[in-house]
Amino acid sequence: MISIDGTLVSAGEGGVYGERMVGGHRVWDPYRSKLSALWYLDKSTDLSSDAVVLYLGAANGTTVSHVADYVESVYAVEFAPRPMQDLLMVARKRKNIVPIFADATQPQRYAPLLEAADIIYQDVAQPNQAGIAIKHLPFLKKGGVLILMLKTRSVDIRKSPEEVFADTCEELSRAGLRVQKSLWLSPYHADHAAIVCERL
Amino acid sequence: MYWYGSGTDISTDPAEVAARIRTAKTDMTKYVPCDWKQAQQLGLVKNRHDYIETLCRSTIHMSEEGIAACSQEKDVELLQMVRTLDEMDTVINLLTERLIDWYISITPAFSRKYRGSAAGAAKLLPMIGKNGTESMKKIAREILSMSNARTNLMKEVSRIAVSVIPNMSALVGGLVAARLVSRTGSLAAAAKMPGSSMQVIGAEGALFSHIRTGSPSPKHGIMFQHRRVHNAPREVRGHVARALAAKLVIAARLDYYRGELDAKFVDEANAKIDRLMEAEK
Repeated sequence: MISIDGTLVSAGEGGVYGERMVGGHRVWDPYRSKLSALWYLDKSTDLSSDAVVLYLGAANGTTVSHVADYVESVYAVEFAPRPMQDLLMVARKRKNIVPIFADATQPQRYAPLLEAADIIYQDVAQPNQAGIAIKHLPFLKKGGVLILMLKTRSVDIRKSPEEVFADTCEELSRAGLRVQKSLWLSPYHADHAAIVCERL
Repeated sequence: MYWYGSGTDISTDPAEVAARIRTAKTDMTKYVPCDWKQAQQLGLVKNRHDYIETLCRSTIHMSEEGIAACSQEKDVELLQMVRTLDEMDTVINLLTERLIDWYISITPAFSRKYRGSAAGAAKLLPMIGKNGTESMKKIAREILSMSNARTNLMKEVSRIAVSVIPNMSALVGGLVAARLVSRTGSLAAAAKMPGSSMQVIGAEGALFSHIRTGSPSPKHGIMFQHRRVHNAPREVRGHVARALAAKLVIAARLDYYRGELDAKFVDEANAKIDRLMEAEK
C-alpha cells in the first residue's frame, strides 16, 4: 500500500467521487471506506499488483476504484440499480474493473463470468454474510484471502455486535477457512468488524 | 460453461454472451473458474488486457439491460413521485417555520398564538406576503407556489397509484398505499412482505426499541395515516391495523402479480374491517 505522510493514497486518475489529491495521488479516506480503515488499524493489509479481486457489494464504486488502482483486475458485483449506474461510470474509466449487475446471494447466476480470485472482498448489508462468503469459496484460490467486512447490525439486531462477530468467525472456521485476524473498525465505522481469513 | 461459450457455440458478442448467461445453470459443486488462457487458445482474445476488455463489453451490456429492466417496473416512477412529495412537505414546513420566526423577530407586537398549527401557518403566510419586507414577500410567494405544486403532485400520486397499485389503493387510498410501497422499496418487495411487517412500516424506531428493550410493540406505522386506522376506537385500533395489514399484503401480491383490481377481494376485505370496527362499538 502507498502512503504519503501517514495518509493512505492510491495511484490513479482522480475525480472519481470528489476525493482529495495529495502529490498526484488519490486520498483514500478511512471514514468512507472500510478497507482503508482496515489499513489504518493494521498496516500489514496489502493489495498486490498482480492480484485478481472479487469484490462483493461494490456499491457506487468508490472503494472499488481505489482497489483497482492497486491490483491487476477487479470483478465488482452489485445488485441495486442506482449505485450500479455509478459503478458503471467508474468501470468505463478504469479498464480493469469488470462490473457485474447481480445478486451476491446467487453466485451460480454469474459464475460463468468469473476467474479464480486471489482476494475476495465482501461488504454487503445482508443477514447471512458468512453464508454469502462461504458460497463464494469456489472462486477463491487455495491460499487466497477473504476479507469480510461484517456489518453486525444487518445480521441480527437482537444479538449484540460482539455475539454476531464471534458467531461469524466460528462459521467461517467451520467452512474450512483459517481466520488470520479479526478486528473492530472503530473509530472509523461503528459496529463494523473486519475478518481476514485464508483459504486452506 | 463459461461466458464465451463452449463446443460450437463460441462467441464474445455482448448480446450472445448475455443470452448465454441468462440461461446458464451452473452447478457450483463442480464449478471451476474461467481461465483466460483458454479463451486465448480459442482465438477469442489476443492477450490478458484484451480478455478483460472483451469481458467488460459484455458485462456492461448486461448491466445496462438489467438496469433498464428495473426502471421499467411500473412502480418506479410512482415511488419517485411519493418521495418528492414527502420531501416537498419537509421543505415547505421548514421554510414556513423559518419565515415566521423571521417575521416575529421584526414585529414585536406579533401574537404567538398562530404558531405551531398548520392552520396558523396557512393564515400567516398570506399575512407575511402582505405585511413583510420585500424579501419576505418574495419568499412567502415562493412557498405558496410550492404548496400549489405539492397539492397538484399529491393529486397525481393518488391518480397514478390507483392505476399502478389498484387493490392497495382501494383499501387505504392511493396516497397512503403509495407511501407504504415507497417505504418498502418496491412493489416487488411489498408483495413478498409478511403482514406483520407491513403493519409497522414507518414505525421502525418503535419496532427496534421493542425488539431491543421489550418496550410495547408498535401497533401501526404509516398505516395510521389512513382514516380507518386513526378513526378506529382505541381498543380496536390494533385489531384493525393487524387485519388491514394482512389484507394489504394480499392486495400488494394481487397488484404485483396480476396488476388489476379484484373488486370481490376488496369488498370482502373492506367488509371484514368494517365488521371489526362495529364489533366493539
